[in-house]
Amino acid sequence: MSGAAHAGDSYLTHGRGLRSWLLTVDHKRIGVMYLGVIVGTLILGGVFALALRLHLWNAGGGLVSNDTYNRLFTLHGAVMVFLFVIPGIPSALGNFVLPLQVGAKDVAFPRVNLLSFYLYLAGAVLFLVTLVVGGLDTGWTLYPPYSLEGARGLGILIALVGVFLAGFSSILTGVNFIATIHKLRAPGMGWFDLPLFLWALYATAIIQILATPVLGITAALGFMERLFHLGLFMPEYGGDPVLFQHFFWFYSHPAVYIMILPAMGIVSEVVSVFSRKPIFGYRFIAMSSLAIAVIGFLVWGHHMFVSGQSQWANLVFSFLTLLVAIPSAIKTFNWLATMYKGAIILKTPMVYVLTFFAIFGVGGLTGLFLGILATDIPLHDTYFVVAHFHFVMVGAVMIAFLAGVHYWWPKMTGRLYDERLGVTSAVLVFLGFNLTFIPQFIVGIAGMPRRYATYAVEFQGQNRLSTVGAFVLTAGLVLALWGLLASLGKAGARAPRNPWGAASLEWQAESPPSHHNFEVPPDGVSPYDYTTLKELPGDQGWVVVGKREVA
Amino acid sequence: MSQLHLPLQHLLLGQTSYLPERASSVAEGADHIFLSLFWISAVSLALIIGVTIVFVVRYRRRPGRMDPEASPDHSTRLEIIWSVIPLLLVMAVFVASTQVYQAMVNAPPGADVQQVRVSAKKWSWQFDHPGGKKDKDVHLVLGQPTELLMISTDVIHSLYVPQWRLKQDVVPGRYTRLLVTPTKAGSFPIVCTEYCGTNHSQMNAVAVVHADQAEYQAWAAEGRGADLSLVEVGRKAFDDQGCSACHAVEKPEGQDDGIGPSLFGRWGGTEQLVGGGTAKFDENYVRESIVKPGAKVVKGYDDVMPASALEERELLGLIAYLQTLVPGRGQDDGEQGERHEQGERKEKAQ
Ligand code: HEM
Ligand SMILES: [Cu+2]
Repeated sequence: MSGAAHAGDSYLTHGRGLRSWLLTVDHKRIGVMYLGVIVGTLILGGVFALALRLHLWNAGGGLVSNDTYNRLFTLHGAVMVFLFVIPGIPSALGNFVLPLQVGAKDVAFPRVNLLSFYLYLAGAVLFLVTLVVGGLDTGWTLYPPYSLEGARGLGILIALVGVFLAGFSSILTGVNFIATIHKLRAPGMGWFDLPLFLWALYATAIIQILATPVLGITAALGFMERLFHLGLFMPEYGGDPVLFQHFFWFYSHPAVYIMILPAMGIVSEVVSVFSRKPIFGYRFIAMSSLAIAVIGFLVWGHHMFVSGQSQWANLVFSFLTLLVAIPSAIKTFNWLATMYKGAIILKTPMVYVLTFFAIFGVGGLTGLFLGILATDIPLHDTYFVVAHFHFVMVGAVMIAFLAGVHYWWPKMTGRLYDERLGVTSAVLVFLGFNLTFIPQFIVGIAGMPRRYATYAVEFQGQNRLSTVGAFVLTAGLVLALWGLLASLGKAGARAPRNPWGAASLEWQAESPPSHHNFEVPPDGVSPYDYTTLKELPGDQGWVVVGKREVA
Repeated sequence: MSQLHLPLQHLLLGQTSYLPERASSVAEGADHIFLSLFWISAVSLALIIGVTIVFVVRYRRRPGRMDPEASPDHSTRLEIIWSVIPLLLVMAVFVASTQVYQAMVNAPPGADVQQVRVSAKKWSWQFDHPGGKKDKDVHLVLGQPTELLMISTDVIHSLYVPQWRLKQDVVPGRYTRLLVTPTKAGSFPIVCTEYCGTNHSQMNAVAVVHADQAEYQAWAAEGRGADLSLVEVGRKAFDDQGCSACHAVEKPEGQDDGIGPSLFGRWGGTEQLVGGGTAKFDENYVRESIVKPGAKVVKGYDDVMPASALEERELLGLIAYLQTLVPGRGQDDGEQGERHEQGERKEKAQ
């Protein structure tokens, strides 16, 4: 029973015209709209990044002025963090997949879901407005006093409102996900029958709800400090700039887990499906997501080891930071063990995930250097940090995002993308990525500070490698986008219901699913039981033979 | 792995030249921690990548091997092993790092620590040396433990010398400290590592480490006198602001206190405060008492002192000046110079 045979009403054809999209409360359409806007922000942030790298081709800069460079890296960072990596996986893929995976018709609060999309869109538009009114040059971290100086003009105020709105969108998505997972699970689906992607989204939602309000409050306080001189963060009015850093990182450190946990969720799904084996250590992976969500709240001070914070605070934050590294290590070992004695299929999502292992490994291990005081003190605010967080945010999160987009593409669009293009893009992205960011570790260790429009000439060679790498990486991303979009054309192959032979519930729906997701509300199943799936010849995917084990 | 290529090459050859030169008492310790983390990481990464490759090659789905083999889907024993081993490893590094870190921020007991006062602004540094000389670069003496007492007059900056492996943010509104004992003579770059606007990347200075006291003195003597020394700036501010109307500076405390406490010999002591609690009479306390006098009021006095709007350099000067009010204290700029000279004279006499 492949999708090609089924020409009925899908969510894509249910209701036509722009209005039917813009006012939709269907989680699938909202997910697709998010995906469109989020890819747009990735492209925008990417264009800024290429401009930055071109400027750094020469040690003396030269492409743009220092001020323009500063605006570029600020908008690059802010767009990538607030508009791409944080909402990326939960809002785009999570919205599409979560109700399907629990076997529901929609999220718990579909209208709130649409509101959340428009809040996000409004935040994104405000960032563009910031660009138009002359840009913002404070760094995405917005540290006062610099950010709240009178000379910063309107840009900072608009950006703060943008951050505030995007934050609200994130909170509402979190609320929706938690309610949906609690209340709308298919009959018989217990907590330990949830696909790990849902555990990851659940842990993420907890952080979104608890941490994001602090970001909103910080943005609001910054706004008021700038307008009314309350004396919170600005020494000239009697405030303390380091207080802002505490507020900021109290949100922004947990935010790195908002980014990485959903990525880990995707990796868990893909590695199991493409190894044809149940995920190894399901409970440990699920619980380590929660452990990360909880301990992750207690480590924000590791961004402030040289801020003048007391040495005892530093030691405690350092210790807790090392503890939070352990759950990530556990997950990595469990993923590897999942492949053991499996039947590994090297399709695009899996190839992306294999590169994730190496890159996330480097990202996590270099995090140790920054969590340990004796090494963070030299490395802090150098290019080593830049390389570290790009390994995690780009190398790990973006690559997992790409794996997820390829993995769920047939479900979202009803089309199969070209595997050869997909695998080539994964390889190019991996090579380009490493070429871009490994040299940054080296110049960072040698002492090149971050956020530098010009630099010492001895770092020029490594910087040029990095610039070349950025273009290779871009080529990989363009190829991936091309491969996906090409499948939408007339020649694109129709996707069957279950092209990968996955066992979780979304693959029981049509590709693309109907407006109501399932013709018959499904019962819960164990999401990693592949024993009853058989592959059909050609591109017809997998079907269930015999009786499935009911959860 | 290409990311390991360059470091590995150096390590295998016994070199660590991708690390900057080591020029402070803590650099070697920091590098030891760095290298142990490097090796732990390299081995872990090799393990992850190696296992991935081996599994993909051996367990690839292919004709004749279409289905997975039976294997367990969990193992509590394995989970414990691979949680505890990394935990022990990082905790061992944490303990070792703590020792190095303590040495980075605390002077050895009894050390004779010299103080250089630093003020940072967009986009330059200013260093007031013991002996009174002011300069855009910092001058130190080889082996002499030195504390940089730092403040910013505008936004946050950060002082970093890669060869010292030391870095400290410089914040407006409060003093921060960077402690260093240079172990190599020569000139080292000072760079700003907290983003501070247009010329952030050009906010450079030089740390000049003199091989001995004599060389330092020669530098300190040259051109000295064009500017007021910090102590002079402080004494002048004390007079100009009318501080002496309420605070005595000569008589020992208690005998002839005015409206405010006498400041004679107060530096480094502990004040009893109104409402209980105590405060150490140090740089940040003095600064707060001048900028926000009501924040901490000494027991037995009224909260009547007016706030003064002073330049950061005047505040630093007042601090330097108050330090001279402690009999026998070596921190006075003028005396400092003399003391060095006396020391040299003694050496010569011998
Ligand atoms: C797991 C996902 C992770 C993400 C998304 C992430 C992201 C980031 C980001 C964005 C920064 C830069 C902050 C800045 O702008 O200065 C950063 C720095 C840092 N990261 Fe990570 N990181 C992750 C993992 C880790 C791990 C596993 C550790 C430690 C074991 C770690 C430790 C640190 C530390 C200590 C810093 C501060 C470094 C400094 O500023 O000197 N991170 N990380
Ligand atoms: Cu600066």
